Amino acid sequence: MKQFRKVIAAAIVYSVILAAPVSAQKTSKLTDPEIASAAVVANQGDIGFAKIAKQKSKNADVLKFAETMATDHQSVIDQAVALVTKLKVTPKDNAFSRKLTSDAAKTRKMLQSKSAKTFDKAYIDNEVAYHKGVIAAVENVLIPQASNQELKSLLQNVVPTLKAHLEHAQMVQKMFSKK
Amino acid sequence: MISFFILKWRGIIFTYLFLSFFLFGCTRPEDNAINEPGKNPSAIDSEKSGPELHTIEISEMKFHPDQINVHKGDTVIWKNNDIVAHCITEENTKAWTSSKVPAGASWKMVVNTSANYFCAIHQVMKGKITVE
Ligand SMILES: [Cu+2]
Repeated sequence: MKQFRKVIAAAIVYSVILAAPVSAQKTSKLTDPEIASAAVVANQGDIGFAKIAKQKSKNADVLKFAETMATDHQSVIDQAVALVTKLKVTPKDNAFSRKLTSDAAKTRKMLQSKSAKTFDKAYIDNEVAYHKGVIAAVENVLIPQASNQELKSLLQNVVPTLKAHLEHAQMVQKMFSKK
Repeated sequence: MISFFILKWRGIIFTYLFLSFFLFGCTRPEDNAINEPGKNPSAIDSEKSGPELHTIEISEMKFHPDQINVHKGDTVIWKNNDIVAHCITEENTKAWTSSKVPAGASWKMVVNTSANYFCAIHQVMKGKITVE
Protein backbone atom coordinates (compact mmCIF):
# COMPACT_ATOMS: atom_id res chain seq x y z
CA MET A 1 0.00 0.00 0.00
CA LYS A 2 2.82 2.37 0.91
CA GLN A 3 4.54 1.52 -2.32
CA PHE A 4 1.31 2.14 -4.20
CA ARG A 5 1.01 5.57 -2.61
CA LYS A 6 4.57 6.41 -3.53
CA VAL A 7 4.01 5.43 -7.14
CA ILE A 8 0.87 7.55 -7.27
CA ALA A 9 2.58 10.51 -5.62
CA ALA A 10 5.38 10.24 -8.16
CA ALA A 11 2.80 10.07 -10.95
CA ILE A 12 1.15 13.24 -9.68
CA VAL A 13 4.36 15.20 -9.52
CA TYR A 14 5.24 13.86 -12.94
CA SER A 15 1.94 14.87 -14.47
CA VAL A 16 2.04 18.28 -12.78
CA ILE A 17 5.45 18.88 -14.28
CA LEU A 18 4.29 17.60 -17.67
CA ALA A 19 1.24 19.82 -17.59
CA ALA A 20 3.10 22.96 -16.54
CA PRO A 21 4.04 25.02 -19.55
CA VAL A 22 6.78 26.71 -17.56
CA SER A 23 9.84 24.82 -18.66
CA ALA A 24 12.25 26.77 -16.50
CA GLN A 25 10.95 25.05 -13.39
CA LYS A 26 11.46 21.41 -14.37
CA THR A 27 13.02 19.38 -11.63
CA SER A 28 15.03 22.09 -9.87
CA LYS A 29 14.36 22.18 -6.15
CA LEU A 30 12.66 25.25 -4.73
CA THR A 31 14.47 27.17 -1.99
CA ASP A 32 12.67 28.22 1.21
CA PRO A 33 12.33 31.86 0.07
CA GLU A 34 10.78 30.57 -3.17
CA ILE A 35 8.44 28.24 -1.28
CA ALA A 36 7.37 31.11 0.99
CA SER A 37 6.62 33.22 -2.06
CA ALA A 38 4.60 30.43 -3.71
CA ALA A 39 2.63 29.86 -0.50
CA VAL A 40 1.74 33.54 -0.16
CA VAL A 41 0.81 33.88 -3.83
CA ALA A 42 -1.39 30.76 -3.74
CA ASN A 43 -3.32 32.17 -0.77
CA GLN A 44 -3.60 35.62 -2.36
CA GLY A 45 -5.05 33.97 -5.45
CA ASP A 46 -8.02 32.62 -3.55
CA ILE A 47 -8.58 35.93 -1.73
CA GLY A 48 -8.76 37.59 -5.15
CA PHE A 49 -11.46 35.15 -6.31
CA ALA A 50 -13.40 35.68 -3.07
CA LYS A 51 -13.40 39.45 -3.65
CA ILE A 52 -15.02 38.97 -7.05
CA ALA A 53 -17.58 36.61 -5.53
CA LYS A 54 -18.51 39.22 -2.94
CA GLN A 55 -19.13 41.71 -5.73
CA LYS A 56 -20.98 39.43 -8.11
CA SER A 57 -22.83 36.76 -6.17
CA LYS A 58 -26.22 37.03 -4.52
CA ASN A 59 -26.26 33.46 -3.27
CA ALA A 60 -26.00 33.21 0.53
CA ASP A 61 -24.00 29.96 0.49
CA VAL A 62 -21.54 31.28 -2.05
CA LEU A 63 -21.13 34.57 -0.15
CA LYS A 64 -20.53 32.74 3.10
CA PHE A 65 -18.02 30.43 1.49
CA ALA A 66 -16.21 33.39 -0.08
CA GLU A 67 -16.08 35.15 3.28
CA THR A 68 -14.50 32.04 4.85
CA MET A 69 -11.95 31.84 2.03
CA ALA A 70 -10.99 35.49 2.46
CA THR A 71 -10.47 35.24 6.23
CA ASP A 72 -8.81 31.81 6.32
CA HIS A 73 -6.38 32.48 3.50
CA GLN A 74 -5.54 35.84 5.06
CA SER A 75 -4.72 34.12 8.38
CA VAL A 76 -2.47 31.69 6.55
CA ILE A 77 -0.68 34.58 4.86
CA ASP A 78 -0.32 36.39 8.20
CA GLN A 79 1.27 33.31 9.74
CA ALA A 80 3.55 32.74 6.77
CA VAL A 81 4.66 36.39 6.90
CA ALA A 82 5.23 36.17 10.66
CA LEU A 83 7.33 33.06 10.20
CA VAL A 84 9.50 34.37 7.36
CA THR A 85 10.00 37.59 9.30
CA LYS A 86 11.14 35.58 12.29
CA LEU A 87 13.40 33.42 10.11
CA LYS A 88 14.68 36.53 8.31
CA VAL A 89 13.74 34.99 4.99
CA THR A 90 12.61 37.25 2.15
CA PRO A 91 10.06 35.52 -0.13
CA LYS A 92 11.58 35.19 -3.57
CA ASP A 93 9.69 35.35 -6.81
CA ASN A 94 10.23 32.25 -8.97
CA ALA A 95 8.88 30.38 -11.99
CA PHE A 96 6.34 28.51 -9.86
CA SER A 97 4.96 31.57 -8.07
CA ARG A 98 4.89 33.53 -11.34
CA LYS A 99 2.85 30.73 -12.91
CA LEU A 100 0.43 30.87 -9.99
CA THR A 101 0.15 34.66 -10.39
CA SER A 102 -0.54 34.54 -14.12
CA ASP A 103 -3.03 31.68 -13.77
CA ALA A 104 -4.87 33.60 -11.05
CA ALA A 105 -5.07 36.65 -13.31
CA LYS A 106 -6.63 34.51 -16.06
CA THR A 107 -9.12 33.03 -13.61
CA ARG A 108 -10.11 36.49 -12.34
CA LYS A 109 -10.71 37.57 -15.91
CA MET A 110 -12.84 34.49 -16.56
CA LEU A 111 -14.87 35.11 -13.38
CA GLN A 112 -15.35 38.80 -14.15
CA SER A 113 -16.71 37.90 -17.59
CA LYS A 114 -19.49 35.69 -16.17
CA SER A 115 -23.07 36.85 -16.09
CA ALA A 116 -24.95 36.99 -12.79
CA LYS A 117 -26.62 33.74 -13.81
CA THR A 118 -23.50 31.73 -14.54
CA PHE A 119 -21.13 33.27 -12.01
CA ASP A 120 -21.88 31.15 -8.92
CA LYS A 121 -21.28 27.84 -10.63
CA ALA A 122 -18.13 29.09 -12.35
CA TYR A 123 -16.78 30.41 -9.05
CA ILE A 124 -17.45 27.26 -7.06
CA ASP A 125 -16.20 24.94 -9.83
CA ASN A 126 -12.99 26.94 -9.85
CA GLU A 127 -12.74 26.76 -6.05
CA VAL A 128 -12.94 22.97 -6.20
CA ALA A 129 -10.28 22.78 -8.91
CA TYR A 130 -8.09 25.44 -7.30
CA HIS A 131 -8.03 23.76 -3.90
CA LYS A 132 -7.30 20.38 -5.48
CA GLY A 133 -4.37 21.92 -7.32
CA VAL A 134 -3.04 23.77 -4.29
CA ILE A 135 -3.33 20.69 -2.04
CA ALA A 136 -1.38 18.63 -4.59
CA ALA A 137 1.29 21.34 -4.90
CA VAL A 138 1.65 21.79 -1.13
CA GLU A 139 1.78 18.07 -0.41
CA ASN A 140 3.91 16.95 -3.33
CA VAL A 141 6.14 19.93 -4.01
CA LEU A 142 6.27 22.53 -1.23
CA ILE A 143 6.36 20.27 1.85
CA PRO A 144 8.93 17.78 0.50
CA GLN A 145 11.16 20.59 -0.78
CA ALA A 146 11.03 22.85 2.29
CA SER A 147 14.31 22.80 4.23
CA ASN A 148 13.41 24.74 7.37
CA GLN A 149 11.44 22.61 9.81
CA GLU A 150 9.13 25.43 10.92
CA LEU A 151 8.26 26.27 7.34
CA LYS A 152 7.60 22.60 6.66
CA SER A 153 5.30 22.26 9.66
CA LEU A 154 3.42 25.46 8.82
CA LEU A 155 2.76 24.00 5.38
CA GLN A 156 1.66 20.73 6.95
CA ASN A 157 -0.71 22.63 9.24
CA VAL A 158 -2.29 24.32 6.26
CA VAL A 159 -3.24 21.06 4.53
CA PRO A 160 -6.25 20.19 6.76
CA THR A 161 -7.59 23.73 6.23
CA LEU A 162 -7.27 23.37 2.47
CA LYS A 163 -8.98 19.99 2.57
CA ALA A 164 -11.88 21.33 4.64
CA HIS A 165 -12.22 24.18 2.12
CA LEU A 166 -12.33 21.63 -0.69
CA GLU A 167 -15.05 19.60 1.05
CA HIS A 168 -17.00 22.78 1.73
CA ALA A 169 -16.68 23.85 -1.91
CA GLN A 170 -17.80 20.42 -3.09
CA MET A 171 -20.82 20.66 -0.78
CA VAL A 172 -21.85 23.98 -2.33
CA GLN A 173 -21.08 22.62 -5.80
CA LYS A 174 -23.49 19.74 -5.23
CA MET A 175 -26.31 22.17 -4.49
CA PHE A 176 -25.79 23.78 -7.87
CA SER A 177 -25.76 20.48 -9.71
CA LYS A 178 -29.16 19.65 -8.19
CA LYS A 179 -30.75 22.84 -9.53
CA MET B 1 5.22 9.68 -29.46
CA ILE B 2 2.53 7.14 -28.73
CA SER B 3 4.28 5.98 -25.61
CA PHE B 4 4.54 9.60 -24.50
CA PHE B 5 0.77 9.88 -24.66
CA ILE B 6 0.30 6.65 -22.80
CA LEU B 7 2.60 7.91 -20.12
CA LYS B 8 0.80 11.20 -19.92
CA TRP B 9 -2.60 9.56 -19.74
CA ARG B 10 -1.36 7.21 -17.13
CA GLY B 11 -0.23 10.24 -15.16
CA ILE B 12 -3.64 11.84 -15.46
CA ILE B 13 -5.48 8.67 -14.47
CA PHE B 14 -3.18 8.25 -11.50
CA THR B 15 -3.83 11.83 -10.51
CA TYR B 16 -7.56 11.20 -10.39
CA LEU B 17 -7.13 7.92 -8.59
CA PHE B 18 -4.84 9.55 -6.11
CA LEU B 19 -7.09 12.53 -5.48
CA SER B 20 -10.20 10.46 -4.95
CA PHE B 21 -8.35 7.96 -2.81
CA PHE B 22 -6.69 10.66 -0.78
CA LEU B 23 -9.60 13.00 -0.31
CA PHE B 24 -12.12 10.39 0.61
CA GLY B 25 -9.74 7.98 2.22
CA CYS B 26 -7.98 10.17 4.71
CA THR B 27 -10.58 12.52 6.05
CA ARG B 28 -12.38 10.19 8.42
CA PRO B 29 -12.68 11.77 11.84
CA GLU B 30 -11.32 8.68 13.60
CA ASP B 31 -7.91 9.30 12.12
CA ASN B 32 -7.11 12.29 14.25
CA ALA B 33 -9.43 11.72 17.13
CA ILE B 34 -6.96 10.17 19.53
CA ASN B 35 -6.27 13.16 21.71
CA GLU B 36 -6.43 14.03 25.35
CA PRO B 37 -6.70 10.69 27.02
CA GLY B 38 -8.40 10.73 30.39
CA LYS B 39 -10.64 13.65 29.50
CA ASN B 40 -13.66 11.45 28.94
CA PRO B 41 -16.39 11.99 31.47
CA SER B 42 -16.56 9.34 34.09
CA ALA B 43 -20.06 8.48 35.17
CA ILE B 44 -18.89 7.18 38.53
CA ASP B 45 -17.35 10.22 40.15
CA SER B 46 -19.49 12.87 38.47
CA GLU B 47 -22.58 11.82 40.35
CA LYS B 48 -21.02 12.92 43.61
CA SER B 49 -18.62 15.66 42.60
CA GLY B 50 -21.04 18.08 40.91
CA PRO B 51 -20.60 19.76 37.52
CA GLU B 52 -17.61 18.68 35.49
CA LEU B 53 -15.47 20.49 32.94
CA HIS B 54 -15.02 18.83 29.55
CA THR B 55 -12.43 20.04 27.09
CA ILE B 56 -12.81 19.79 23.33
CA GLU B 57 -9.80 20.71 21.29
CA ILE B 58 -10.23 22.25 17.85
CA SER B 59 -7.30 21.41 15.60
CA GLU B 60 -6.72 20.43 12.00
CA MET B 61 -10.28 21.50 11.17
CA LYS B 62 -11.88 19.01 13.53
CA PHE B 63 -13.39 18.82 17.00
CA HIS B 64 -11.47 16.41 19.24
CA PRO B 65 -13.35 14.49 20.45
CA ASP B 66 -16.24 15.11 18.09
CA GLN B 67 -18.66 13.31 20.34
CA ILE B 68 -18.96 13.57 24.14
CA ASN B 69 -21.32 12.46 26.88
CA VAL B 70 -21.95 14.94 29.69
CA HIS B 71 -24.30 15.43 32.62
CA LYS B 72 -26.82 18.25 32.75
CA GLY B 73 -25.08 21.33 34.14
CA ASP B 74 -21.56 20.32 33.08
CA THR B 75 -19.38 22.89 31.39
CA VAL B 76 -17.82 22.26 28.00
CA ILE B 77 -14.86 24.33 26.89
CA TRP B 78 -13.70 24.46 23.27
CA LYS B 79 -10.05 25.39 22.77
CA ASN B 80 -9.15 26.59 19.32
CA ASN B 81 -5.61 25.34 18.72
CA ASP B 82 -6.02 25.59 14.96
CA ILE B 83 -4.46 28.11 12.57
CA VAL B 84 -7.79 29.74 11.61
CA ALA B 85 -10.87 31.07 13.43
CA HIS B 86 -13.80 28.74 14.06
CA CYS B 87 -17.19 28.89 15.76
CA ILE B 88 -19.40 26.49 17.66
CA THR B 89 -23.05 26.74 16.65
CA GLU B 90 -26.07 24.59 17.40
CA GLU B 91 -26.85 22.93 14.09
CA ASN B 92 -30.60 22.35 13.86
CA THR B 93 -32.13 25.65 14.92
CA LYS B 94 -29.01 27.79 15.58
CA ALA B 95 -30.27 27.93 19.17
CA TRP B 96 -26.86 29.08 20.40
CA THR B 97 -23.51 30.12 18.96
CA SER B 98 -20.08 31.05 20.21
CA SER B 99 -19.65 33.54 17.35
CA LYS B 100 -16.13 33.68 15.94
CA VAL B 101 -13.47 32.06 18.17
CA PRO B 102 -10.06 33.24 16.90
CA ALA B 103 -7.05 30.91 16.67
CA GLY B 104 -5.61 30.50 20.16
CA ALA B 105 -8.83 31.53 21.92
CA SER B 106 -11.42 29.39 23.67
CA TRP B 107 -15.13 29.45 24.51
CA LYS B 108 -17.19 27.66 27.13
CA MET B 109 -20.80 26.88 27.80
CA VAL B 110 -22.90 25.16 30.47
CA VAL B 111 -24.75 22.31 28.80
CA ASN B 112 -28.32 21.45 29.71
CA THR B 113 -29.56 19.73 26.57
CA SER B 114 -28.07 17.37 23.99
CA ALA B 115 -27.06 19.06 20.78
CA ASN B 116 -25.61 18.55 17.36
CA TYR B 117 -23.33 21.45 16.64
CA PHE B 118 -21.13 22.59 13.77
CA CYS B 119 -18.78 25.33 12.74
CA ALA B 120 -20.84 27.76 10.68
CA ILE B 121 -17.65 29.11 9.12
CA HIS B 122 -16.56 25.63 7.96
CA GLN B 123 -19.77 23.71 7.61
CA VAL B 124 -18.03 20.37 7.24
CA MET B 125 -16.88 20.52 10.89
CA LYS B 126 -19.41 18.80 13.11
CA GLY B 127 -19.70 17.62 16.71
CA LYS B 128 -22.21 16.16 19.11
CA ILE B 129 -22.95 16.53 22.82
CA THR B 130 -25.12 13.98 24.53
CA VAL B 131 -26.59 14.79 27.95
CA GLU B 132 -26.94 11.54 29.86
CU1 LIG C 1 -14.38 26.23 11.51
